[in-house]
Amino acid sequence: MPSLKDIKTQINSVGSTKKITSAMKMVAASKLRRSQEKAEAARPYSSRLEEMLSSLASSAASGEGIIKLLTGTGNDQNYIVVPVSADRGLCGGFNSSINRETFKLVKSLEGNGKKVQLMPVGKKSRDFFNRVMKDQIIESFVDLNVSSTGYESALNISNKLQELYFEDKFDKCILVFNKFKSAISQEVTQQQLIPLDVSNSEKEEEKENSSNAIYDYEPDEETILKDLLPKNVSIQIFKVLLESDAGEQGARMAAMDNATRNAGEMIDSLTLKYNRTRQAFITKELIEIISGAESI
Amino acid sequence: MATISFDLVSPENLIFNDDVGTIIVPGKDGDLGVLPGHSQVMSSLRPGRVMVYSEDKNLVKSFFVSGGFAEINPEKCIVLAESVVELNSLDKSSIEKEIEELGSKESKESEEQLSIAKAKLEAITVSFYDKI
Repeated sequence: MPSLKDIKTQINSVGSTKKITSAMKMVAASKLRRSQEKAEAARPYSSRLEEMLSSLASSAASGEGIIKLLTGTGNDQNYIVVPVSADRGLCGGFNSSINRETFKLVKSLEGNGKKVQLMPVGKKSRDFFNRVMKDQIIESFVDLNVSSTGYESALNISNKLQELYFEDKFDKCILVFNKFKSAISQEVTQQQLIPLDVSNSEKEEEKENSSNAIYDYEPDEETILKDLLPKNVSIQIFKVLLESDAGEQGARMAAMDNATRNAGEMIDSLTLKYNRTRQAFITKELIEIISGAESI
Repeated sequence: MATISFDLVSPENLIFNDDVGTIIVPGKDGDLGVLPGHSQVMSSLRPGRVMVYSEDKNLVKSFFVSGGFAEINPEKCIVLAESVVELNSLDKSSIEKEIEELGSKESKESEEQLSIAKAKLEAITVSFYDKI
């Protein structure tokens, strides 16, 4: 049976853990607000770009060079998978669900006879895949610090991807990331980045066609498309990074909230134990005194 | 006189959003002056100045963009630019230094940055469009 002093120390240590987790929760909550604002601020640009792209996409039937970002290489053999995780832990299942999903995706692609390479973003997925499939990693990006540098890190990733793509290193690129659904829930999502999946913007295209007249293009459609496609890759990555950042803060907030609650429960039950032990001691001492007095 | 609504958007945020009189945007094949009722045009941009004027033709704001796209219709003009800085926040000597540094490097990337920096320098030295 633990002594009173042992229980007391235990209560104190759980108490200080609780303080830390609740502080982390507050920090995550304020960071979440900031990353949500950032995601909000980035929305006008990306939605405009998507609209432009969808109105142009139909004009490119097939082609060489940059247009390949839209039309694909015509092959379906080499894949590159980009898992987007956080740099830090203590955010519940946020990182492990990304890693698990990516691992499953890679295995299923390999099962179909495809060649898969990895380009993890974020420390947690890099470390994981360094352990399990080290030789498939071609590049990794860590310490992105999305909330401050933002677009530049997205640009780095997108430049690297395009460089590899035009060297014919891969045919398809798939992003795996946590989609921010609400402050407490994230959804692991797969998105095909290259070649561009136009089907999800098709609805917008219809809308636009019905409401808008035809544009003049300057210099011409193809030139604009050539400028637009690489930008679109970067902006898609940027969007994903922002979503994942907001999701991370949300996940951390929820995880820390849980931890704080658990610590509270633990303190309650420890306090109960402490009081019981204390009472037991008093009773024991009383019995000793009484039986000592009786024997005299 | 009528006004046209003008949005200047960068990937990180919405920089300018107001009703204005005239905008000049640096189109790839030459500058475009946009007035209310402009025909529908979609254009890509070269690095250069975006000038914003009020209804009575006074310069309200001027920006430097490193390239991007403009979407224009009779009521609205939207400029999507990758990097946007206000012209009067640019410093001539630091740009000259940047050009010098980039000039000594030889890679495709620095070449691109060099041409942007040169356009930047030009943008702060020239004064046409200050008054229209």
